[in-house]
Amino acid sequence: MRLPGLTTLGLAMGSLLERPFRTILTMFGIVIGVAAVFAMLSIGEGTQKKILENIDSVQARTITVFPNWSNGRASRRRAWRPFTEQDVRDIQAIPGVFAATGDLSSEYNIVSEMSDWRANVVGVDAAYLKANDLKIQRGRPITDTEIERSETVAVIGTSVVRSLFRGQNPMGERLKIQNIPFTVIGIVGETDAQNWRGQDSNNFVLIPRPTGRSRLFGDDRLVRNQVRSITIVGDNQDALAMIEREIDFILRRSRSLTADEAPDFRIFNFSANRQAFAESQRTLSLLLATMGAVSLIVGGVGVMNIMLVSVTERTREIGLRMAIGARGSDIMGQFLTEALLLSVLSGLLGLGLGYAVSQISLGTDNIEMVFSTRIAILSFGSALLVGVVFGFLPAQRASRLNPIEALRHE
Amino acid sequence: MLGDRRLETPLIETQGLTKLYGSGSGIIRALDGVDLRIEAGEFVAVIGASGSGKSTLMNMLGGLDKPDQGEISIAGQSLSRMSKRALAYFRNETIGFVFQQFQLLPKKSALTNVRLPMQYRRPRRENELELARDSLDRVGLSDRVHHKPTELSGGQQQRVAIARALVGRPQLLLADEPTGALDSKTSVDVMQLLVDLNRQGLTIVLITHDKEVADYADRVITMRDGQIIEDQTHAGVR
Repeated sequence: MRLPGLTTLGLAMGSLLERPFRTILTMFGIVIGVAAVFAMLSIGEGTQKKILENIDSVQARTITVFPNWSNGRASRRRAWRPFTEQDVRDIQAIPGVFAATGDLSSEYNIVSEMSDWRANVVGVDAAYLKANDLKIQRGRPITDTEIERSETVAVIGTSVVRSLFRGQNPMGERLKIQNIPFTVIGIVGETDAQNWRGQDSNNFVLIPRPTGRSRLFGDDRLVRNQVRSITIVGDNQDALAMIEREIDFILRRSRSLTADEAPDFRIFNFSANRQAFAESQRTLSLLLATMGAVSLIVGGVGVMNIMLVSVTERTREIGLRMAIGARGSDIMGQFLTEALLLSVLSGLLGLGLGYAVSQISLGTDNIEMVFSTRIAILSFGSALLVGVVFGFLPAQRASRLNPIEALRHE
Repeated sequence: MLGDRRLETPLIETQGLTKLYGSGSGIIRALDGVDLRIEAGEFVAVIGASGSGKSTLMNMLGGLDKPDQGEISIAGQSLSRMSKRALAYFRNETIGFVFQQFQLLPKKSALTNVRLPMQYRRPRRENELELARDSLDRVGLSDRVHHKPTELSGGQQQRVAIARALVGRPQLLLADEPTGALDSKTSVDVMQLLVDLNRQGLTIVLITHDKEVADYADRVITMRDGQIIEDQTHAGVR
């Protein structure tokens, strides 16, 4: 037995295929609209996921403090005022702080027996690895005693292993910085965390800070006990705001600034940055949503237009169908099916286009996208909705034709 | 014969059938109190000049139009009070239409065209294709089943249209100027086909302005200004 529904579908398909060029042109707007809606929903979902994923990561709980370059009295004497080891210790004592470490580093040419290589040399304290979410892969970290005694030991990143030691086992080997020999005691596991300056985040040599200060960085106008910046990790994100206020209080006190004076330091909250990121993604989503909506409406008007043309062209056919027993609802169904079929095909093409375009943009941009059947169904549904809404009027017009007049139509 | 109800109740019966067009002083009475009885099995020609009301009468008999006044009953069904939906069903079940311009779907085969009315039959028949083939067979076009209208002559196209009218086994065939678009030789063939169908028991009402065409019928009704002015039965003509 033949299903009546199938006949209607076949009829609609045949009618679309009779005019392939017109059909494709009509589908265009909806295809673009669905693609935009699909991309919008995927980006929204991706942003959501990224925020949720990182909410408890060390990165998301990180606050960094930098000196500010151009401010008041300080700038007259010196370009900027660094922080002190005492500042670091005071900040470590703030409740809710998971780890806090000072940063004192500079780039040097490093020489091994095999090669030489330029890398970032960082003078570290005991909290450095913890505060930067770094793990020792081989060997051991620098001990408190080694830091205290300013020993010449080094823990190196994987890029240094590759370039300076050509991938061979560097454990116990020597490397020279400014002609001072250091012994490699450990390797830090590869990290993909983005360096804030966009540099290779695995290209570093860690040495005890006192060693660096007395034998390397001395010519860098940094006097004793000073660090260039401080990195603080909170226990959780909720603690960050309070920690930030405490840091502000501690630094103002140590730098003799009153509460209403402009600070000569800058507190950079990573999670606030993340919110800005989410905000920019939302703007992008909104833009795509607007574009999607406009395209869908324009596409819908196109569908309506072409269906009205189709109804006019086929007036005699409609009259005949009515004369031989088609009810108004049969005619309505025929044209609605045609409009729906148009949107279904456009919807499928739109999904394909949306996916293809997002695959391309994923490679070039820092856009996170998540694809799901839910999103596919939603964007596809928007095409169906357009088909029903804009196909209704022409279908209704067809169903209300007077068969006698329709048969006489030229 | 006495027990045969069809003889007692005519297939078509109208009383005071009136249809008005326009409004105010410009009212035209397209039909003006038409009383008509047509028995099952008759071959009736309705003749008249254009504007005489014959087309309006045909639309009325076919359930395409409703009267403003009067009663119309076909095959025992009163059309005057039928809903649009019921009228569509009635047209599909009871009436077969043949038009002057054939009204075939140009891009579809003869078979698809003939089958078309069955698409609206409820419930759907399983043997639609078989019915369509039988119908084409009845009009002598078994060898043109897959031809499209553009590949057929005018006479053949009108035969396809007649086959389409027959496919649903109607009780009444309404033909509106069926030879109007054909040359005289082809017209004779088409009219002979209608006569044959009538001899097989099909009731036919034919609308024409052509006296020669009307002469194929057993009964000729002449209309003028929405009224029947002559009603002649002349079985002897053919």
